Amino acid sequence: MGISSQSARPDPGTLAAAVAAVLMGAALAMIFFYVPTDVDQGYSQRIFYFHVPIAMTTYVLFAWSAVNAVRYLLSRDRSLDMKSYVPMHLGVIFGSLTLVTGAVWAKASWGVWWYWGSTQLNTFLIIFLFYCAYFMLRFSVEDGEKRATYSAVYALLGVGLIPVSVLAVRVSQELIHPITFNRNGANMDGSMFLTFLVSLAAMLALAVSMYFVEMRGKRLDERVRRIRRLAEAAR
Amino acid sequence: MALVRKDLLLELRSREVVPAMATFVLASFVLFRFALGGDRLGGGVRAATGLLWVAVVFTAMLGLSRAFASEREHRIWDGLLSTPVDRSALWLAKACSTFVFLVVMQAVALPLFWLFFLQEGRPPSIPVLVAALLLADAGIASLGAMLAGLASASHAREVLLPVLFLPFAVPLVLVGVQVTVATISPQTSAMDTLERLGFLGLYATIFALLGWALFEYVVED
Amino acid sequence: MSSSEAVRCSGLVRRFGERDALAGLDLAVADGEVVLLTGPNGAGKTTLLRVLATVLRPSAGSASLYGHALPGQAAPARRLVGYAGHEPLLYPLLTAAENLRLYSALHGSDGAEVESALEGVGMARRAGDRVEELSRGMRQRLSLARAMLHGPRLLLLDEPTSGLDDEGRGVLLTLLEQPGRTAVVATHEPDWFAGVAGRAVAIDRGRVAV
Repeated sequence: MGISSQSARPDPGTLAAAVAAVLMGAALAMIFFYVPTDVDQGYSQRIFYFHVPIAMTTYVLFAWSAVNAVRYLLSRDRSLDMKSYVPMHLGVIFGSLTLVTGAVWAKASWGVWWYWGSTQLNTFLIIFLFYCAYFMLRFSVEDGEKRATYSAVYALLGVGLIPVSVLAVRVSQELIHPITFNRNGANMDGSMFLTFLVSLAAMLALAVSMYFVEMRGKRLDERVRRIRRLAEAAR
Repeated sequence: MALVRKDLLLELRSREVVPAMATFVLASFVLFRFALGGDRLGGGVRAATGLLWVAVVFTAMLGLSRAFASEREHRIWDGLLSTPVDRSALWLAKACSTFVFLVVMQAVALPLFWLFFLQEGRPPSIPVLVAALLLADAGIASLGAMLAGLASASHAREVLLPVLFLPFAVPLVLVGVQVTVATISPQTSAMDTLERLGFLGLYATIFALLGWALFEYVVED
Repeated sequence: MSSSEAVRCSGLVRRFGERDALAGLDLAVADGEVVLLTGPNGAGKTTLLRVLATVLRPSAGSASLYGHALPGQAAPARRLVGYAGHEPLLYPLLTAAENLRLYSALHGSDGAEVESALEGVGMARRAGDRVEELSRGMRQRLSLARAMLHGPRLLLLDEPTSGLDDEGRGVLLTLLEQPGRTAVVATHEPDWFAGVAGRAVAIDRGRVAV
């Protein structure tokens, strides 16, 4: 029943992948050809258009995971556990990319866009540690309701961690030497802002399409497992 | 609250956790003292204070890894869960007894710390340090009781608990060190210190609320 | 659903990972009945008792105690149920009396009934001894006392005779012989209970065997 209804309307996964491809293409084109070179930091500043959208996508993924975690705890619907886990998993991937692009950017230029200064980097590191710990937890518990419940609980503890981290870093500013800010306040000029938005949209679309791919894989796994269980019970 | 009494009584009888924690702290201090340079304290009091907080966190994790040990080893959960007691009360009791253990451990650790590290240079404000430690203890106890419950599900629980806890420990240590070290310099205003202590209080509150709300999911099978 | 029905299970399922410990179990126990659960090890008897004791949630199907549906109404159901499992469920480092006082407090009581409970199982002299110093038989008796402490309507006993000494067996029998006593007892010795038990239900592979 499931299979036939999926082919009746456009598969959301394919749709998302198509949208992502288009946006990615547009973003790449804009980043490399459209947006003007930054006066201060030179060509390497373009990394910013990758780094920040990827970072924001990571946060969005985490929020998505947390929302589904709450929904799971309230309803005990196992599919929600999967919907909480997959964004978390993608978050690790995007998080690693954030750290990598962040490192590249930092090395190439000493100036940093003010708002995202030290607070972001440190908070992100803490969140990334949390992501890894989430996976350790998940791999340590056997599959089943317990694993789903514990993952959801830990994810929600992580929700508490985010404001705590941001505040902690803010409150200890003395300890962490703020990187010197350049004169780019919160204003980017038109073309830069547009490029940024397109890149952000592209990253989000990429995350969404990866989500569908992974979900499909997991659903297939689950179906195989269910069939196996039925076969054994019938024996 | 009978549960808290029970935990304290158990500890008194078995003498497992607190002596281990106290010994661990002492050993850490010795290690740190030598690591920082036996004669002159390399990095000064600032480095030492940082290490104090690190030692507190690791010792807390050591203690927490045994938090639910007796319940687990003797399958007592079945007994406790079949009573009408609120699941969150189970968490609260464990958090309270952990808090007591932590305070006892620090009562031992602080004089040692003073002896080992504060003999030279300007010392940080002790009242602030004590206040910060108490607030941090509340946070560690709340969160730790939760995480100890989560970690007991796995076979690698002794390793898992530190892994789960460390991301949460980072903000705590960050601010703990900051509030303590800043009191060495006369330029630190009382407002700044209060702000940081306030953060520690907020940390404890947030995780106490989360612990209260979520523990029933940890314990229900 | 009348509340004079002690237990009603319908299609009860309890899953552990891939394994179905209970695979669609139906059971009804009336108030005043003593029902035995028999079956091989791993059949699901312990799991069933644990679900009824509200320690485990059902994965699917329904279960209710005196009209209270599990798991939603588990909280009021807990006051009516006394569970004694495989293990004595006692803290070894605490004394007999301390253990019972703890459970009494957990049931919202002040401990007044602890003494009479200890006397009821013949343990009054050993009240001040730590559980780790007690013999297996005495621990079992203490476990029974713990289950009875709050005067439950339904007793759930998992292999209560194992390790129980003669005096303890006498206590158990007296307990079950009381008129109006309702109990579900998992056991490998159904014959021993012949005098008190109404019927025996065989469990196999998570279901009632036919």
